[in-house]
Amino acid sequence: MASFFSVAVFFIYSMLMFHPDIEQGILGEASLIGMVGAETVLVLFTLFFLYYSMSAFLEARSHEFAILLHLGMEKRQMNRLVFLETMIIGSGSIFVGIIFGFSFSKFFFMIVREILHLDSLPLYVSWQPFLLTIGVFTSAFVVISFISVYFTRERKLRDLLKGNDYLNSVSTYSKIRAVFGITLILSAYVLTFIVSNTSWIGLTLLIPFLATFGTYYFFSDSLPCFLDKARGKRKFHWQRYRLLSLAEQTHIMMDNVKMFFVVTMVSTMAFLSVGVLATMSSYTIQYDRLNPLGLVYKGDVDNPYERNHIASLRIQLEEKGLSYHLSRFVVIKQTSSFTHNEVEVFRESDMNVLLSSYSYPLLDLASGEAVFIPYSEDSLKRLKNKVVHTVLEENSIPITIDSVYPKIVFPGSIVSVNSIVISDEDFRKLRKPIADKNVVQPIYHLFTFYIPQWIETKEIGQDIEELKASQYFYKKDRFSPFYFENAGLNYSYILATYSLFTLVGVLVATVFLLAAGSFVYFKLHTSLEREKRKFDVLKRMGLTDTELKKLVNRHLFPQFFLPWGVAMMHSAFAFLMVQGILKDIANISIVKEVVFAFGFFVLIQVVYFYLIRWRYISHIRS
Amino acid sequence: MPILQIKDVTKVYEGKVTHRALNQLSFDVEEGEFLAVMGPSGSGKTTLLNIISTIDEPTSGEIILDGMNPHTLKATELAYFRRRQLGFVFQDFNLLHMLTVEENIVLPLTLDQQPLEVMEERLASIVEKLDLTSFLHKRPNEISGGQAQRTAIGRALIHNPSLILADEPTGNLDSNSSRDVLELLTKINQDKRTTIVMVTHDPIAASYCDRVLFIKDGEFFNEIYKDDRRQMFFQRILNVLSLLGGGQVGDLSTIRLP
Repeated sequence: MASFFSVAVFFIYSMLMFHPDIEQGILGEASLIGMVGAETVLVLFTLFFLYYSMSAFLEARSHEFAILLHLGMEKRQMNRLVFLETMIIGSGSIFVGIIFGFSFSKFFFMIVREILHLDSLPLYVSWQPFLLTIGVFTSAFVVISFISVYFTRERKLRDLLKGNDYLNSVSTYSKIRAVFGITLILSAYVLTFIVSNTSWIGLTLLIPFLATFGTYYFFSDSLPCFLDKARGKRKFHWQRYRLLSLAEQTHIMMDNVKMFFVVTMVSTMAFLSVGVLATMSSYTIQYDRLNPLGLVYKGDVDNPYERNHIASLRIQLEEKGLSYHLSRFVVIKQTSSFTHNEVEVFRESDMNVLLSSYSYPLLDLASGEAVFIPYSEDSLKRLKNKVVHTVLEENSIPITIDSVYPKIVFPGSIVSVNSIVISDEDFRKLRKPIADKNVVQPIYHLFTFYIPQWIETKEIGQDIEELKASQYFYKKDRFSPFYFENAGLNYSYILATYSLFTLVGVLVATVFLLAAGSFVYFKLHTSLEREKRKFDVLKRMGLTDTELKKLVNRHLFPQFFLPWGVAMMHSAFAFLMVQGILKDIANISIVKEVVFAFGFFVLIQVVYFYLIRWRYISHIRS
Repeated sequence: MPILQIKDVTKVYEGKVTHRALNQLSFDVEEGEFLAVMGPSGSGKTTLLNIISTIDEPTSGEIILDGMNPHTLKATELAYFRRRQLGFVFQDFNLLHMLTVEENIVLPLTLDQQPLEVMEERLASIVEKLDLTSFLHKRPNEISGGQAQRTAIGRALIHNPSLILADEPTGNLDSNSSRDVLELLTKINQDKRTTIVMVTHDPIAASYCDRVLFIKDGEFFNEIYKDDRRQMFFQRILNVLSLLGGGQVGDLSTIRLP
């Protein structure tokens, strides 16, 4: 079932990968590499997963094999039997997976088209994805069937006949390692705090190691130790089902340390990849708000290209048929007596031209009055109630800054941290330039194009962009006389990375989630017979139906939610760190997205839990 | 006053092949009696035990246990009934592997939410009686078959049930352990006046009982009572079994037996 699903996913992705339109599309090389990478991860994971499920499957059928061996079947014949069975299952799942994948690929293409803002992504038929999928998975199944036969533990026929009833797990934990495991995890968490507060990135590398080893020891020693302690307390232990469930948990822990560990790690990965997705999407959504302007051109007063560039931009926009509002600013830098730092001073009437194109409320300033220009959401909040009395030193103009403009007008990369708007009369008095000679661009011109359809501007001004790049490249020692920013182009870059991450992330997360669930399912499936016998005994002893359900709940609950819980903890701390770093760099908050993603996961997991529980109970009752 | 009455119980298994496991079987078990039920394979012994233990329902007829018919109870009440009135001893012990011997024994009491003091007190007396002290904290897979069966008997006894049902309790044991277990059951039967119904193949095991009931093809075949000497009783059990086993002989001999 799960292998069928991974075949289907793999096929859909290879359909996309070989899609003729994609290859020349905006995604380009990088995303193709990403998808190949994702597919490799997928195949590797499927291999591992198939191996696990095969061995569980063989384990469950050991009784049957024992009878066959008992009847005089050769070991070689049995290997052939297992091999053949695997191949039948394998080819079946490849076949069904491809059919399923093919029928859903149109749907998937539609989603991709929406995400990538492509015009159309028609369905196509080509032999490549088919061949790739069949080739990869056939070889995977062959490898798996050999490996699983080869690694099947040689067991005595007598034991096989008795079935997998033996429980040879003896509680072997050491207190030292138990403490060690918890310490490792805790120190990893502490480190994330340190990193997020001091942005000491070097430590980041240490955290995954700490967390991984910590998790392993947590499952192998800390938990058994804890459970054993709990069992020692009779008053606590000898109560209703606690006796049974605690003992059972101890046993499950002992037997499945590796599985718990793998599931935890895998789910952590899934959480992380989804979290990264959420972050990306929040960044794209916020991009619009953070970058209200379509094109921004900034140049020195004596910029030789100014006339040409502005004219060419206007012509290109007109050719494209995009409506725009051009606003022209003269910005003068002055020194503020309040902080002795430089401030960028904008003129009220320039500002109002831009504001009217946004149809934002206009400014009306009296002489001596000024308003802050916010450069980010945060600054908006911080400057809101700040009142500053200052003097622009060079021209000794006293002003009072008593408010902040309530909307973000310029993208953060354009305006400096100290930007104010003053009235026209005061601006006219600014004769003397800034006293400090080291200041770059004491006066500059700023041209802003407000374009409602700013997403479509990505081809506009490419020549200027190239010139800018080359200027930067050849004359490193000198500052370029102009600066140009195209929000549409930047957006298309971000969108491409985002869509790449979406594709890869969705793929990885789906497969990981599915696999994590299936591990638990297989484990349950293997022990089903034993569990059935156990519940039979209990039923004879007089276990009511409700008690049975409660017992099953307690039996399944930790198996499902313990690894997930630990994984959640891990990823929560990881995100705390990421959030801390992002706060410094990009000024975006991912808390809402992450919480949402986690909530979604919990929901899925609860649904899955109830599904499995339902199957389990009906199996046990039969 | 019989503690258990079986009245015309018939059990038919519907399926692709309809199979009549029990056919109008009737008998009574007196309080404090140690009854063995014998019969060849497929004679319906296990079905009978299942019906008495309320796991299975009879197709027709009724059983009265301690003055009431448990099959009229609701599922939950039935479970409570089993938990308080019945004790089970199985052929393959059916101890729970993840629990220690001690925990296995107190399990019925924990299910019934008894206070800790009661549990410890009962456990102590049972442990003493069955001589389990030496392996109380071991796991079921670390002890011998005889010890395991003693544990299972301890589990069946700890809640003082009015009826103990034993399904081939000596089936998996060597002769020494078998003797131990049977003597233990006899002692319990005599000391505490606990009623025991034991299904068995083994004539030696049956010879420890007060009465042996033979069934064949789901029908009552014969019953014999205990003698003064176990040796004689054993001999008579063997006689009946030889009749039971042979086809033609059995048809003739039924009349001749007392």
